[in-house]
Amino acid sequence: MYETLRLDETGDLATITLLRSRINVKQIRELERVCDHLEDVSKAKVLVLRGHSEGIDFVDFDPREAMDIHGFNKWEKLVNRFENLDKVTVALVDGPCVGGGFQLMLVCDQRICVPSASFQLNEVRQGFLPGMATFRLAKYIGLGHAKRIVMTGAVIGAEESNRLGLIDQIDADLDAALARTIQSFGAMHTVAFTLARRLLNESYGTQAEDALGNFLAAQHRAISQTAFLDTLRAEHKKK
Amino acid sequence: MLDLRPRILCVGTANPPDRYSQKELLERYQVTDPKLVSLFCSSHIQSRHLYLPPGRPEGGPEPETQGDLLRKHRKGALEVAPQAVERCLSQVGLGVRDIDYLCCITSTGWLTPGLTAILMKHLGFREDCSRMDMVGMGCNAGLNGLNPVSSWAMANPGKNALMLCVEICSAAYVFDGSMRTAIVNSLFGDGVAAVLVRASEKDERSFSPKILGFDSHIISSALDAMRFDWDEEQGKYSFFLDRDIPYVVGANAEKPVGRLLAKFGLRKRHIAHWIVHSGGKKVVDAIKYNVGLTDFDVRHTHSVLRDYGNLSSGSFLFSLSRLIAEGRVRRGDYGILMTMGPGSTIETALIRW
Repeated sequence: MYETLRLDETGDLATITLLRSRINVKQIRELERVCDHLEDVSKAKVLVLRGHSEGIDFVDFDPREAMDIHGFNKWEKLVNRFENLDKVTVALVDGPCVGGGFQLMLVCDQRICVPSASFQLNEVRQGFLPGMATFRLAKYIGLGHAKRIVMTGAVIGAEESNRLGLIDQIDADLDAALARTIQSFGAMHTVAFTLARRLLNESYGTQAEDALGNFLAAQHRAISQTAFLDTLRAEHKKK
Repeated sequence: MLDLRPRILCVGTANPPDRYSQKELLERYQVTDPKLVSLFCSSHIQSRHLYLPPGRPEGGPEPETQGDLLRKHRKGALEVAPQAVERCLSQVGLGVRDIDYLCCITSTGWLTPGLTAILMKHLGFREDCSRMDMVGMGCNAGLNGLNPVSSWAMANPGKNALMLCVEICSAAYVFDGSMRTAIVNSLFGDGVAAVLVRASEKDERSFSPKILGFDSHIISSALDAMRFDWDEEQGKYSFFLDRDIPYVVGANAEKPVGRLLAKFGLRKRHIAHWIVHSGGKKVVDAIKYNVGLTDFDVRHTHSVLRDYGNLSSGSFLFSLSRLIAEGRVRRGDYGILMTMGPGSTIETALIRW
């Protein structure tokens, strides 16, 4: 069904394992198809993105042809879809995480790696840009660190990534770390969860007046869901 | 022949000549109550076109009776509607004598004979032009009108149907210093939108959206949330907006959108353009977070609100006009039109370029 990745679904858990060391057009198309499935069909509550990636495979770019920007726009749309899935997303990084792989990892809700993992945005060194990581990265780790990583293409180890806030946990046993992470999310009320994520993602670019309106609209949606009523009922029963 | 869908061939809009900033209005009406001032000064509306009575030497505007307001509605409609009609029809080289069906929508004044009859005489439509007047349905009415207009167009292939949303909201204003009227007075603006609808094989190659279908949703439990009723004390009709409207609308917005998408086997991600009624900042926020739209999706909704206020039934056509002018639409793109108003109701339509 897929050549460049594997999709496994068991119970509440869907796992995408990247099978190519470099991202090519085929892998992007297959990731789009996976997104269709995750959005339209899958009942999974947690999506795990697993593997490593050394960035874009340039084989699909022909230096004799005029460059066009539309492929990059497609890539950003894909990353954006991953960022907004109605599932908790967890990245499990088991090796180098470079370029496009870094960009995908960055939009996951939780990011876990093995001690030997390394992180790099090497695009600027190659004369182009690391996608909308230029927009997202500073929010996670601050402008100074983001400049160093984006502009120098520095390779960052697991320890430092953890210290910067790029990585949430380091564990040689990724499965154990994943199990702990899933447990830590508790009941996972999808609506409250995705609204909270959206408001947080919007938090740096919104005026306070607009943010209040956004929050009230989102909060009303959250408290109109059965999940919140269930919480209230459970609390009342205790008394 | 069976799949010959009506198209929105072109949209034209017009507004009264005088444009006011929120600050100018506060000065003109000598509003100093800080609560009302802050209502006017929130940043999401910057200016509106209005017909306002002349100022008195001692300050404040001349008072207007219900009779004055009704006359203002008629006079304003006759001044602005012809411009919108001209701006719409000139895009396809048509004149009013080419129109076979005229539908006028308004909630800002009662007229018998209706606006269609008055405009037909005033502009010189053909005497065999069919008519419909839709009065009093409120902000959602543009889509309640577009539904039968597109049905008429489909039943009469090749014939031209013209729909006008004529809202002279300043003819529905009551100034009494209360919060109730200040909410209305700070929000609505005057304007007319005209849209030409036709189902014709010769338009198959034109770059214009086909109207594919509609879905409606009425929230009867919120029947009184938006209403235009008689104020005995003022001797005028007065509009009332419940403060919970944004939430009532928000909580239900997914329902008609979901049904409309399901009818056509589509997903939300297939919709490239959202043309949402500029009801007010909070209503648009509620739609954003309940339907899952971004600020980019509602950019024209926001900018129409900012530049014109809430234009009632015509607002979404002002947004559609801006979307078309923007040049971003591509052939094959889907769009959803969405309006909300008294009932309380949410109306939706699916279109495709």
